[in-house]
Amino acid sequence: MNRLRFWFLAPARLWMALLFAAPLAIVAAYSLLTRGAYGGLGAPWTLENYRRLWDPLYAAIVGRSILMAGAATAICLVLAFPLALFMTRAGPRKNLYLQLVILPFWTSFLVRTYAWQFLLRDTGLINSLLQGFGLIDGPLPLLYNYGTVLLGLVYSYLPFMVLPIYAALERMDHTLVEAAADLGARPWATLTRVLVPLSAPGLWAGSVLVFIPCLGAYLTPDLLGGGRTVLLGNLVQNQFTTARDWPFGAAVSLAVMAAVIALVVLLPRRRSGELL
Amino acid sequence: MKRRGFCVALTGAAAGCRRGPRLNVFNWSSYVAPETVPAFEKETGARVRYAVYESNEEMLAKVMGGNSGWDIVFPSNYLIRPMLEQRLLAPLDHRLLSNLANLEARYRHPAWDPGLAWSAPYMWGATGIAYNVSVTPEPRAWSDLWRADLNGRITMLDDPAELLGACLKKLGYSVNSLSRAELAEARREAIVQKPLLRAYLNAEARDQLVAGDVLAAQMWATTARQAIEEAPHLRFVYPAEGFSVYVDTAVILRESSRRDLAHRFLDYLLRPDVAAAVVRASQTTTVNAAARRLLPENLRADAALYPSEEVLRRGELFEPLPPEVQRLRDRVWTEIKSA
Repeated sequence: MNRLRFWFLAPARLWMALLFAAPLAIVAAYSLLTRGAYGGLGAPWTLENYRRLWDPLYAAIVGRSILMAGAATAICLVLAFPLALFMTRAGPRKNLYLQLVILPFWTSFLVRTYAWQFLLRDTGLINSLLQGFGLIDGPLPLLYNYGTVLLGLVYSYLPFMVLPIYAALERMDHTLVEAAADLGARPWATLTRVLVPLSAPGLWAGSVLVFIPCLGAYLTPDLLGGGRTVLLGNLVQNQFTTARDWPFGAAVSLAVMAAVIALVVLLPRRRSGELL
Repeated sequence: MKRRGFCVALTGAAAGCRRGPRLNVFNWSSYVAPETVPAFEKETGARVRYAVYESNEEMLAKVMGGNSGWDIVFPSNYLIRPMLEQRLLAPLDHRLLSNLANLEARYRHPAWDPGLAWSAPYMWGATGIAYNVSVTPEPRAWSDLWRADLNGRITMLDDPAELLGACLKKLGYSVNSLSRAELAEARREAIVQKPLLRAYLNAEARDQLVAGDVLAAQMWATTARQAIEEAPHLRFVYPAEGFSVYVDTAVILRESSRRDLAHRFLDYLLRPDVAAAVVRASQTTTVNAAARRLLPENLRADAALYPSEEVLRRGELFEPLPPEVQRLRDRVWTEIKSA
């Protein structure tokens, strides 16, 4: 029995060791090296790359990224909860709605982001329509600002919020809602004292699933933000490409990873553990 | 018999079953004509594994280790010295490169490799301003990209060397400035300009210029040429204060074990008819004088692609920068982007 277990787990273990643990170890080693004269890696071993993280310039980027990811997560929560609730009560059409939530994944992320550019630019669909109906005189600056980046993040990661909340609500015993009403709870009390606490694991799981990728997002800020701002993902990407400073890029990625792990560990474990 | 059947079945991998030595060529995207590589294979019987990259950094990251599997790559001029110091390059044997004589005189003794001992110039390009003719007065200098009447309709390149280059030139400094004080001034210029900008865009700026969203953009001449082809209301100008120039070169890597074949490929690329076909397909600017003579008039005389001697004198080649300056510039870039 134990032998069987060993062989069944072997492929997954090998996969994780070769493609996850080993690269991570390499990144960790890079983060302790010095940038070579022309962008390679060189001696000596140093903690300098981590010291540079305390530079106020980079601290500001970290702060901005957390704010952006936090805002995207909050908006996703507000949008996803009613949607998930609606879906669980949709009866036979439940599966159709689930398919619709997953539908965007059928197209490449890059293509979808470019599609937003076509909708939002000066000569894009939205501005053309608004101008065509005479609602505005000149095009609105819809593209290339913080709002656009936020919109892109919410759009991209909303399904990751909807699905865990849906799963949590789906497993809930719905007679409890009726019981609450029978016992005199008004709809608002039912929501805050029955529905939200019972779906908390889904809310937590969804928040983590949205917050983490948003924190490292670089494509959305780049394409929808027009490169006018730097978030953590852009900082890391720039170190590995244009700046050719791999050690610093590695240090930034590891620091972000450590922060994210700390966040997940600090979450109330019993609640989030079920779904994560 | 069986083996052949197998090969036919795998059409994609069919090349692997043909005989002949294999040459590995790693080039910028859209830097050859569709027929360039197949015609070489037909002529020599060699097989060519051809792949493309989008930036010097991407290429450099791959060949840095010295066992990348590539024979020929196309670094920009300012990478020749660093690559030489990293011992990545093989010397060129001029006896095998008779077509080097086709190069324009100025590219036969370039500053970065005076005897062309290591690199064969391939294409060159420069950066200027592409603009809509509706802009009055028409932009003539980098300082025009700081004009308040163009607020929100300007883009700059999303590239530290180019953005800082334009700011430095506006101030009258070299694009390769090593000075902390000059770079601090350039940063101030960029931060002053930022609120006027729509975005920092590279190739994407072309579509927005064509569509009319953007009225003036810092742009590579080749990109501008494509935009002008699509929209006749666009123009391109080399700014009065001066501008940056790069030359992409072909080199043979030290790790290459097929140097004769590699030389043959380089000499083939230097042939006038081959080089002219590449330019016709890619709309880039050739360093090959003999090839330029074969181009149709509209390409050969294009003022964006082939500026006059007088304009060209204002151009300045990018040079390799020492690591401390690289790091300083990266910090300045991050500061501008965070501002």
